[in-house]
Amino acid sequence: MQVPVDATQDYVVANDLTFKRGDRYIFNHVNLTIPRGKITAIMGPSGTGKTTLLQLIGGALKPQGGSLHVNGEQITHFSRRELYRFRRQMGMLFQGSALFTHINVFDNVAFPLREHTKLPPAILREVVLLKLEAVGLRGAASLMPSELSGGMTRRVALARAIALDPWLMLYDEPFTGQDPIAMGVLVRLIRKLNDALGMTSVIVSHDVPETAEIADYIYVIADGQIIGQGKPADVMENQEPKLKQFIHGLADGAVPFHYPARAIDVDLLGEVPC
Amino acid sequence: MLTQVQRLGRGGIRKLLIVGDAGIVLVQTLFRFPKLAKSFPLLLKQLYAIGVFSLPIIIVSGLFIGMVVALQGYNVLVKFSASAELGQLVALSVVRELGPVVTALLFAGRACSAMTAEISLMKTTEQLASMEMMGVDPLWYVISPRFWAGFISLPLLTLIFSTVAIFGGYAMGVHWLGVDNGGFWNNMQGAVDFRLDIVNGIIKSLVFAFIVTWIAVYQGIRSVPTAEGIGLATTRTVVWASLAVLGFDFVLTALMMGGW
Repeated sequence: MQVPVDATQDYVVANDLTFKRGDRYIFNHVNLTIPRGKITAIMGPSGTGKTTLLQLIGGALKPQGGSLHVNGEQITHFSRRELYRFRRQMGMLFQGSALFTHINVFDNVAFPLREHTKLPPAILREVVLLKLEAVGLRGAASLMPSELSGGMTRRVALARAIALDPWLMLYDEPFTGQDPIAMGVLVRLIRKLNDALGMTSVIVSHDVPETAEIADYIYVIADGQIIGQGKPADVMENQEPKLKQFIHGLADGAVPFHYPARAIDVDLLGEVPC
Repeated sequence: MLTQVQRLGRGGIRKLLIVGDAGIVLVQTLFRFPKLAKSFPLLLKQLYAIGVFSLPIIIVSGLFIGMVVALQGYNVLVKFSASAELGQLVALSVVRELGPVVTALLFAGRACSAMTAEISLMKTTEQLASMEMMGVDPLWYVISPRFWAGFISLPLLTLIFSTVAIFGGYAMGVHWLGVDNGGFWNNMQGAVDFRLDIVNGIIKSLVFAFIVTWIAVYQGIRSVPTAEGIGLATTRTVVWASLAVLGFDFVLTALMMGGW
């Protein structure tokens, strides 16, 4: 399968994208573009479909309406075989890292290379060590995943995701559960790798400051719609109530703090049900 | 009344959907062997994990079951002065029934439960999803080697179980209870038919292997990716596989013995 490459073309283009789970719209006629070579952040409260968007871009889910072009290809029309071949140009960092627990760090990073290339063992070893060097973990090559800290696990998963030098990197909540040092390391690594390898990156996250620090463009989604977009500075200063509440972490606002309930005096002073 | 009929119908349709889905998974598993050079090492590894690691429980169980059958049988046969028939009794019981059935039940408890738990955990920790995102099909990389390893291992384990059980019966009958050595083997040789007894036993174990391994991999890949989901899937594997073994044993025995 030949993949057309047009350096000026946006990497991901979604037109009228519609995706439902049951009767609930996750995306309701959404339009968005992911520019080539940039870091685009998809932000929003929990449960708004950020990870679903990554799954749609990766072809794991099919939209019920609209079109989704990835690198000029309508990904929803691919057969299983074509999809698997197409995914070799993508890398994905999973929220839980998803390292294979029965093999060591070296073999985890070597896995995609062994499956998709015919590199001689000596070259393969060099490539794997270079990838581990890029994330600062060359010295941990012989360790098992159970011997790594949370931050190290995420970095090994990152090394594995870039093993085949993908054109598109998808990051699913890369900063969740990381201590400040690991978070700082990851923030710098994502920016450095994107620029050094000329990749296009999509970060799904609700960690506002870290994501805003490295993103070139931000989309904020809620209730199946894009409620805000723009450069980080513009989004941070946006006064739209829902957007403002999310960006500044306000407990109450357009999204109420309280789950819908009867009046408190009725609940506290009313009759106790038998 | 109508509601109950509706509920029954809905339940039936749901069960049929599960059977259909399991059939799709099976077909996809059977026809996903794209690169033999890459698949063979995966199969060997699973044969070792599933087959070799099941050997201790199969050998120990076989030995005890053979000894118990000999002990029980002797106490009945001796009343009719027919203790020399002990070899026949042990061999036929083990080769026709106990060998295939008990091995399949032990295999379901030892290997299939582990298979389901491992696949479920890989699903829960997104290892299968990450494989898919790397362009590697988990059905051929994870599921297919386990299915074939189970299918190959169980008949071999059944043969080992039967051999050890007969040896256990021999040790108990001849060396402990004093049954004549020549009579024990001679009666066994005269009574056991290769086609009717041994081949039928192997056919049973092949059918059991197919069913229990299919249940195990299906439960694993369709498990709910939570801690509770892993537990449920593992339990279902053991329960369904055990019931399937006993049910199919009846059907196969009826067919083989000419009951139908």
